[in-house]
Amino acid sequence: MDEKILLKDNIGKLYSELEKEYKFYAPTKVKGNIAFSRISNVEEIELEFLNSKVPPKDVLFPQKETIFEYKYEGKDVIIEERKDLEDKLLIFGVRPCDAYSFKLLEDFFAFGDFQDEVFLKKRESSTIIGIGCNNPRQSCFCTSVGGHPFQKESTDVFLSDLGDKYLVEAVSEKGKNLVKKLSWLSDAKKADIDKSKELAKQAEDSFTTKFNFDLVTKVLDENFEHPVWQEISESCIGCSSCTFLCPTCTCFDVIDENDEYNNRGRRIRIWDTCQSCLYTLETSGHNPRPEKIQRCRNRIMHKFSYYPSNYDCVGCVGCGRCISACPVNNELRLIIDKILEIEEKEKGEKISA
Amino acid sequence: MPNPYIPMLTKVKSMVSENEVNDIKTFELEFIKEEEYKNFNYIPGQYAEISIIGKGECPIGIASSPTEEGTIKFTIKKMGTVTSSFHNSDVGDTIGVRGPLGNGWPMEELKGKNIVVIGGGFAFSTLRSLILYVLDEKHRKDYGRVTVIYGNRNSGEVLYRDVLEEWEKRDDIDVVLTIDREEDDWTRKVGFVAAIVKEVAPSSDNAVAVVCGPPIMITTAQNELEKLNWKAEQILNSLEMRMKCGIGKCGRCNIGEKYVCIDGPVFSLAELKQMPKEH
Repeated sequence: MDEKILLKDNIGKLYSELEKEYKFYAPTKVKGNIAFSRISNVEEIELEFLNSKVPPKDVLFPQKETIFEYKYEGKDVIIEERKDLEDKLLIFGVRPCDAYSFKLLEDFFAFGDFQDEVFLKKRESSTIIGIGCNNPRQSCFCTSVGGHPFQKESTDVFLSDLGDKYLVEAVSEKGKNLVKKLSWLSDAKKADIDKSKELAKQAEDSFTTKFNFDLVTKVLDENFEHPVWQEISESCIGCSSCTFLCPTCTCFDVIDENDEYNNRGRRIRIWDTCQSCLYTLETSGHNPRPEKIQRCRNRIMHKFSYYPSNYDCVGCVGCGRCISACPVNNELRLIIDKILEIEEKEKGEKISA
Repeated sequence: MPNPYIPMLTKVKSMVSENEVNDIKTFELEFIKEEEYKNFNYIPGQYAEISIIGKGECPIGIASSPTEEGTIKFTIKKMGTVTSSFHNSDVGDTIGVRGPLGNGWPMEELKGKNIVVIGGGFAFSTLRSLILYVLDEKHRKDYGRVTVIYGNRNSGEVLYRDVLEEWEKRDDIDVVLTIDREEDDWTRKVGFVAAIVKEVAPSSDNAVAVVCGPPIMITTAQNELEKLNWKAEQILNSLEMRMKCGIGKCGRCNIGEKYVCIDGPVFSLAELKQMPKEH
């Protein structure tokens, strides 16, 4: 049998063996919230969590990161490229929705004629240890976007939480090599595998929200000018929590941080949001999306209409973070319902969840 | 694959003030590495992300034509932090360049066609590139008659006077200059660009219009052309949007599912009609 067992008591052993080779990231408690951080002590790992507040996207695409550094020598400039992009990273405890987001991010940053080397090199150097969700949150809807609380595909190694131990499955080649190195893991029994399957089934059955996103995309494509957008955007206060906590949002600003006294500095990129009016404001004063109705619409259209057109899948992994983060409860499920109601009114039948 | 965020380095070779109030300058840049210049293969209508390193980067249309060898040129109006830094720079200063970017004017598709160039204000830069390219002796036989309608607020704002004068002397190109209001000593047209398009009434026969200017000028000029029976497929526009990366990653220049930075900046009116009015 290929499946292995990792006792929770042995997490320390796993950490001390892997931290020599990898920069080790895991869920930790930061100011009362769960966040993925680089750890230096196994005690920091938080094993009991539903999901992190900020997605692990920020390990590979941090809120603020250096693109390159430079220094001035008289009028000449010397550019120093980053040398840490190929450092080996290990991200432990990634939920299936967030693991799937890495695939979407990878497809996005590799799309077209230009490859985003800053992201892609880090992605290639990273190993993902995923973990199934025994208890999906009330706001979760991954099964509506082709995901599953026990989906293994985008991870390298997949863990199922069996109480005092984890069932360990190697998913990718990278994962197989990693599990091989951990020769002290014991073999799993059939009962362990059955238990994992049972947990997966229970988790799947617990979902109350199920959307048909093919239909959502179709309705969106036909209703760009619909009055529903006024209703949807009315209560939005433009705080941008939905985009900053989204595992698939990729927008960024680029700024030079100049250290004038030392004749050097760095060009950085920093998360930006389509919910801000400054995002599209041009120097002339012209703004293609000056009102929040246009900005709210852009976010929904981008995820569920433009993304399918460009990348053949919706730009959402169903993690529900935007739902729990919204301070005015203008939540995605209600927005989707309102969009589907357009179709219902036309067809005269109920189709939303 | 090189990292697309790393700029190539150039030096300011010369800078020329283009207008009376001195807030528009053309910068001529020379690549430090000869090899990078050789690989900088561009067509008219493309742009580059150019930067004063330490101040910031911004997208600017390439004003030079590929036929002008040795250097590349950018015409920059002093507006914000980065463009003001350009205006404060000096010959010999280092400038970062990433590009060429964007689709540019479809020079292959324009072959055999009459070209009507409609421009307003300092957006004329990539049109300068296109006209110089078409008039170059290597390419002249590939294209039909060229008509240029170029409008400005006042006579002090007319860019590229040196090349305009040369074009006016030629008989294979019609140059129509206009300013918004009458001025003493101004002997050309007076009126908004759209009104002059109506007056000149260029024939749509085997022709393509290339339009670049402020949003209101683009829209009104398009309307006039349509009234003159031009088809939406014959009208090409170069759009501007706020952008940061220029390579389809930073997000902000989308119009619907298209990104102006990589799918544009040149779109036909037929394409624009299929897109949301968010530009």
